[in-house]
Formats: sequence, structure tokens, C-alpha cells
Amino acid sequence: MLVFEFLTVMFLVSIVAGFLGSIVGIGGGIVIIPILTIFFGVDIHFAIGASIVSIIATSSGAAATYVRDRITNLRIGMFLELGTTAGAIVGAAVAVYSDSALLGLVFAGVLLVSLIPLIRKVGEDIPSNPVLHGLAARLELKGSYVEADGSTVTYNATRPGTGLVGMVVAGLFSGLLGIGSGTFKVLAMDLAMKIPMKVSTTTSNFMIGVTAAASAGIYFIRGDVDPLIVAPVALGILAGAAAGARVLPRARNPTVRKVFAVVLAVGAIEMVLRALG
Amino acid sequence: MGEAAELNTADPRRMSDAVSAVLRFGVLLSAAVIALGTLLLLLRFGSLDSGSLLTYYPSAPHGGFDPSLTALAAGLSSLNPYSVIDAGTLILLATPVARVALSALLFAAERDRPYVYITLTVLSLLLFSMLVTPFIPHFNG
Repeated sequence: MLVFEFLTVMFLVSIVAGFLGSIVGIGGGIVIIPILTIFFGVDIHFAIGASIVSIIATSSGAAATYVRDRITNLRIGMFLELGTTAGAIVGAAVAVYSDSALLGLVFAGVLLVSLIPLIRKVGEDIPSNPVLHGLAARLELKGSYVEADGSTVTYNATRPGTGLVGMVVAGLFSGLLGIGSGTFKVLAMDLAMKIPMKVSTTTSNFMIGVTAAASAGIYFIRGDVDPLIVAPVALGILAGAAAGARVLPRARNPTVRKVFAVVLAVGAIEMVLRALG
Repeated sequence: MGEAAELNTADPRRMSDAVSAVLRFGVLLSAAVIALGTLLLLLRFGSLDSGSLLTYYPSAPHGGFDPSLTALAAGLSSLNPYSVIDAGTLILLATPVARVALSALLFAAERDRPYVYITLTVLSLLLFSMLVTPFIPHFNG
């Protein structure tokens, strides 16, 4: 295959990855990694390096729009980033001692188990609005956003402690496996903190950039970030994420949850296959 | 709209607009630089076979490409496509950091103490992880 053919194919694949990732709050590695390793036969180190860059591109590319449209909750995002960054550093520190195949299986298992509560509330639009109290009240973990039909959705977050622990776990897996773990972040916000689905995916999208940036330095210095692979991936993802960010505000919360459930299932199966070699 | 504006007092317009502007600026700048690098890449290597360029050598990752800043500067001055793309990638990596740093300033301007501390903690963890851990052999195994 010629260089320009490789660049064209990766650019097109990345547009799809960026579009999908920006809507469900994940980084796009779920699409990029198997295409690179299985279709192009690229080494997993390069694939993970490209995935790290794709996470940051999906995040920054779509977050500019989500933040401007005030769907992303900046306070909830900032608070939960405490957990993701701390978890990511600890994960990177203990990665040397860990068996990444076993960890991949554990992570996939967690994702598959979390499909159960997700499917049970698949038709739910806006979660019942709990009373803001305790830490969530002190940190003003609440917000509102305007739906496409002009109605305003107001929400209060619950169980910030559980959410933060969820983010530490998400960060740990990010540091250990070189993934964005956006799926886990959305789950923690949706299931534990009772945040509306669209706010969960956009706030996850906002956070994954910082989680990935935390470990990007290591991959860059190691030389796993290959410019030839990263260039079409970054450009395609940025274009796809910008398009996805224009579509999400018009999508309905239950639709976003269904797409998310499918992506989560595919991602979990992919991780099982990768772990089993 | 009056009601919506009132509900949004916990998330003032100014903060969202500033964070959004920084993200957009970083994204557009990095996309422009990476696009330039890709164009140079196509002109130089476009019709070569990609196989050898995509091979991973554990002993010399990056296909023997040197990721150090001095190598990057030298490559940029000679418009080496790989160096130009790397520069664009570094701008992309710096964008979330710039966003966190700006948030700290904006929370400080709002006199929102808890969030100034939260944001500064995230910023320190992020900078430590990005700039310090790559040079600790233990992390680099």
C-alpha cells in the first residue's frame, strides 16, 4: 500500500471515529486501534500512541462546541478530573507490575456487567431530579441546559463521592492500558450521579482530553506517537468530532443512551479479543 | 430566555466562552500545522510503499525518528514533514493543559475558592504526569 493510500484510508476511518466518539463521550480508540492493528498490521504500540492522540483530538474538537452551547458541565468536569488524573498517574506507576491481558479482561468484564443497569433504564429521558445536598451542594454540582426544542433541563447531581471513586478507577485503567476509558466515565455519571445522558457524554468528552494528555508525555518520549499515523488520525478525528458536536444537541437522550450501549458492548468484546490475543 | 440565563448563573457565560475559545484556537492551530506537515509528507513520500515506514522497531521506535526537542527544532527549520506533524501534535497535546490553566484563572476571577484549589490540583497532577513522569525510568518501562 502506498503512503497516500494509507493516509486517505486512515483519514476517512478517523472521521467516523471522531463523529461517533464525540457523541457518546469516548475517544475513538475503539475504532482506530482495530483498524490499525488488524487491517494495516501496525504494531499495538503505534496503535495505542495514535489512540492517545485521537482521544485528545476528539475531546478538544467537540468540547469547543459543547462548552459554548453550555451542555458540558464545567464544574462537574473539573471536580471529577481530580479522580481521573490522580488515577492515571497511579495506573502508569504500577503498569510495569501488571498483566495487561488480565487487566483488559477485568475492564471488559466491568463494562459488560454495567450493560445491565444501562439496558434497564434504556428508555429513560431525564433522570428524576434529586435534592442537592452534602458535598454536591457545597461544590454546586448542578446545572441546566437548553434542549433543541427550546425547553430547559435542570438537574442536580447525587453521590459525588461514588462518582469520584468511579473516576479514579477510570483513570487507573487509562494509565494501565493506554485507553481513554470514556465508557467508564459516562457510566459513573449516568448510573451513580444521575446526570442527564447528554451532559454525561459531553462532560466525559471534556474530561478524556485531560486524562489522555496526562499519559501522552510518556508515549511521546517513548516514540510511540508515529507522525505518519497520527497526522491522518488527528485531522480526520477533528473533522468528525466537529460534525458530531453539531448533531448531538438535536439527538434525544434515550437515543444517545442506546448508541452508547452498543458502543460499550462492542468495546468490551474488542477488549476481550485483544486480551486473548 | 430570562429564566435560562438565571439558571446558568453557576456557569457564567464568560467562562464557557473563554474555555470554548481556547479549545477552538488550539484545535485550529494544530490542525493547520498537521495539515501542512501532511502536505509535505505527501510531496516527499506520497508514492512510496507505506509498509517499511509503518514498521515498529522496539530497539528504535518511531522508525528511528528522534522525538527530542532539539531534533524537532532542527527538523522544523528544514521543513521535515515528520517534525512539522510532531509540532502540530504537541500543540494538540498542550490544548487541554491550556484549558485547565485558563479555568484556574477564571475561577479565581470569580472568587470561587473551592474550584480554584480543585483546578490547581488537577493542573499540578497533569503537569507532573506530562512533563516529569516521562523522565522517571520506573514509569518508562
